[in-house]
Amino acid sequence: MATRAAEVLNAVPALSAERPVTWPKRTKARLANGLEVVLAESHAIPKFHGELFFRSGNAAGIGRGPGLAEITASVVRTGTQNRTSRQIEETLRELGADLATSAGADNSAISFAGLSELGEPLLALVNELARDATFPDPEFERERRQKLEEVKLDRTQPGFLASERLRKVLFGAHPYAQVAPTEEQVAAYKRDDLLSVYREFYTPENALLVLVGDFATKAMLGTIEKAFGAWSGKKFVSEAAPAPPNPRGRRVYLVHVPGAVQTQLLAGCHAITRKHPDWIKLGLTNSLYGGAFNSRLVMNIREDKGYTYSPRSSVNPLRQHGYFSVSAAVRNDVVAASLTEIFYELDKLRALPVPEPELADARNYLSGVFSLGLATQEGLLSQLATVALNELPDDYLETYRDKVRALTPDDLLAMARKYLDSPNMQIVVVGDRTQIESQAALFGGLEVYDAHGARLA
Amino acid sequence: MNRLQIPIESTTLANGLKVVIAPETSAPVVTVGVYYKIGFRLEPRGRSGFAHLFEHMMFQGSANAPKMQHIKLINSSGGVLNGSTHYDVTNYFEAVPSNALERVLWLEADRMRSLKVDDENLRNQRDVVKEEVRVNVMNQPYGGFPWLDLPPIAFRNWANAHNFYGDFADLDAADLADVQAFCKTYYVPNNAVLLILGDVRPDEGIALANKYLDDIPAGAPPPFADPSEPGQTEERRGQVEEKFGTLPAMAIGYRLPPRRTTEWYAMALLDQALHGGRAGRVYRELVLEKQIAVEADGGIDDIFGYNGPTQMVTRILHKPEYSSEQTLTEFDSVIRKVRDAGISDDELEHLKVKWRSDYFSTLEGGRGGMPRYGLMHLLACFTLFDNQPGLVNTILDGFMAAKRDAIHAVAQKYLRPENRAVVFRLPVRPAVAGPPVSAGAKEAA
Repeated sequence: MATRAAEVLNAVPALSAERPVTWPKRTKARLANGLEVVLAESHAIPKFHGELFFRSGNAAGIGRGPGLAEITASVVRTGTQNRTSRQIEETLRELGADLATSAGADNSAISFAGLSELGEPLLALVNELARDATFPDPEFERERRQKLEEVKLDRTQPGFLASERLRKVLFGAHPYAQVAPTEEQVAAYKRDDLLSVYREFYTPENALLVLVGDFATKAMLGTIEKAFGAWSGKKFVSEAAPAPPNPRGRRVYLVHVPGAVQTQLLAGCHAITRKHPDWIKLGLTNSLYGGAFNSRLVMNIREDKGYTYSPRSSVNPLRQHGYFSVSAAVRNDVVAASLTEIFYELDKLRALPVPEPELADARNYLSGVFSLGLATQEGLLSQLATVALNELPDDYLETYRDKVRALTPDDLLAMARKYLDSPNMQIVVVGDRTQIESQAALFGGLEVYDAHGARLA
Repeated sequence: MNRLQIPIESTTLANGLKVVIAPETSAPVVTVGVYYKIGFRLEPRGRSGFAHLFEHMMFQGSANAPKMQHIKLINSSGGVLNGSTHYDVTNYFEAVPSNALERVLWLEADRMRSLKVDDENLRNQRDVVKEEVRVNVMNQPYGGFPWLDLPPIAFRNWANAHNFYGDFADLDAADLADVQAFCKTYYVPNNAVLLILGDVRPDEGIALANKYLDDIPAGAPPPFADPSEPGQTEERRGQVEEKFGTLPAMAIGYRLPPRRTTEWYAMALLDQALHGGRAGRVYRELVLEKQIAVEADGGIDDIFGYNGPTQMVTRILHKPEYSSEQTLTEFDSVIRKVRDAGISDDELEHLKVKWRSDYFSTLEGGRGGMPRYGLMHLLACFTLFDNQPGLVNTILDGFMAAKRDAIHAVAQKYLRPENRAVVFRLPVRPAVAGPPVSAGAKEAA
């Protein structure tokens, strides 16, 4: 088929000269109360997006209760000294705004978007939530009952069960091991615990405000000063938990879901944080392995074999640690076959240098999608937040693509050998044990659990 | 009031392909879409799920870009791509650095002109689609609820009422002849629109469209079955088993007035009053105040993206201590209030502010890293359904002009039991009183 390949090559239009990217201008500021601010203008629509981060999340609150930062975030929006829950929601609608409160392992956040013409009252409301939330008792009770139903629902989702088990296996006694509270833990939440989390985490010294949108930077800085200037509070300092041991040797953890008509696979190993000097190199390695449509894993188990719809791999950064993972939801009768291919592709990347043309494609992909990601207000906000929260260099956006383009086959080989830790991958399979247990057991010592985490014989 | 005026150029090529260009040059990226005016509503009988399966086949190779080349060429140009199947359209789209624009047009032209797939491709993608259905529907709690559950109860015309993801027997029965026939009938330039958005000059975009797509032969005008629904005279109800979840659920769907009528604009504002987030009446009453429901959301899904019978749908998951009938009664009291009293002037003003704000976000909105997906989607639908891409700049006026009286009138006319369908999704393993948590706690360390 050599002639055929040549024809194809001739017919495809070449890429024309690249147009230069104008990197968005960022403005950094710090208010007298310690609030760090990052702004960037983006005028495509007459709106703006913002996020107020607090650099403490569920991990920092775990001593008082797993998931406490998250329930605190839920109740923050339900009452302030000036407004009831209903008034808050109706004010948001009147301002044409959306607002969400949330907490992950490392951060809590209030994220919002609204019309530029109504920016000032929206920022004032965000400050009110960050400073004057009152945690009304009935609202707390309602949110707690909601949370109870939510954690029950989680346990019926294969994706949740897989990531819950993998995090336990990878992080052991570290707070990162627990992705959600148990029902008992939710039942034990006290309003006072939420209040203390709120007082300690939600302070200007602990916060970062990122705004992207249709505004004039100078005027917006004035608006921010007006909305947030009178707020005060100290930085919250929490002790880092001891590093979790890195599990050695492959083991298999089967979560038994009777009647499952498909099996969720998730395998992972320790990797690195966002600040690590290997981050970009590992990002490219991941992209080539299973992070893009055109990656080896997707071409193998989807486009060639048809085992699965949406296989992917990812590098998951947390503040203190990180992990690499591979996932796929596969037909029950191809669990062993899929795992075999997953490991084949990992081992191949660890054994053989990536051919230069394939590497060039992957480099182009990663630097191209990086530019695409900056083309919306939300996308730009997310990049700016990543830079600021991880204290990455100021020229991170400008230099990212050059760093990607400089990577060589040797870099990728080194990354694969170091971080795509095939011999020590921990494997989680979520499905009906009667259909998949013998297949799963081929890949390592097997432990079986039910959906509530109880070990089964 | 801030307005948004999006510059648009459009033309029709000699073969009937419509072309719409929306230049915006602040970043060197371009979004390209090709929309075909065929979705799962009018897929062939006995071939449920075929429109979606065919969408997958469009990535399986064409005469000059064999299997895997299409995906490889877009990704290696620094771009992303995907496709999706809707009720009345199917789309294929790419976002790339603008220096790859010609390459993208060449690829779209190649698969419009000469899709080239074989039995092995079809077997492969049939397997992939089945795993897609399993991961999204059959192996998920509340999978397919209510978008697959409600149509067979609500509608009588097969076009509107069948399983859009496809019965596995129908997927298995589909063969290469079906693929070829469907392609020849609907995937013709005179049944499509090409969109180029972002870093492109209008004259350049139109010249490139001519260069790559003008010589694709037109097809016969595609036949479209009649999707209209017979009148409804009483409430319709049905029940579906929930295999994994433990909470009882229900969905209530009301049929909508025809697109772009005064009633339709009013209905959209009424939808915002009922389903506009936590301030919406349904969430406020059922979740925040009466605390019967755990989730209560919904509304008119993709309001600009359909062109046939559809519904405004409320989706409720409720606490097991309330029966389905009790929960429905409480929902009905929300509906009764708005039917009796309509909405206030203040509420209407606030709804309009929120509507306008949401509309801007829709236009800018990305999807999976794709800038301007929303603008592309609206331009495509306004072109294929109305032949007026410029509606993207004027349609907001219709919503902003909606009057209180008209909203009250549509509440009374459309929010009636005889205009709705209700589906109950009931757990086979209902929640038990005492949660089995002790074992989990023991193991946690």
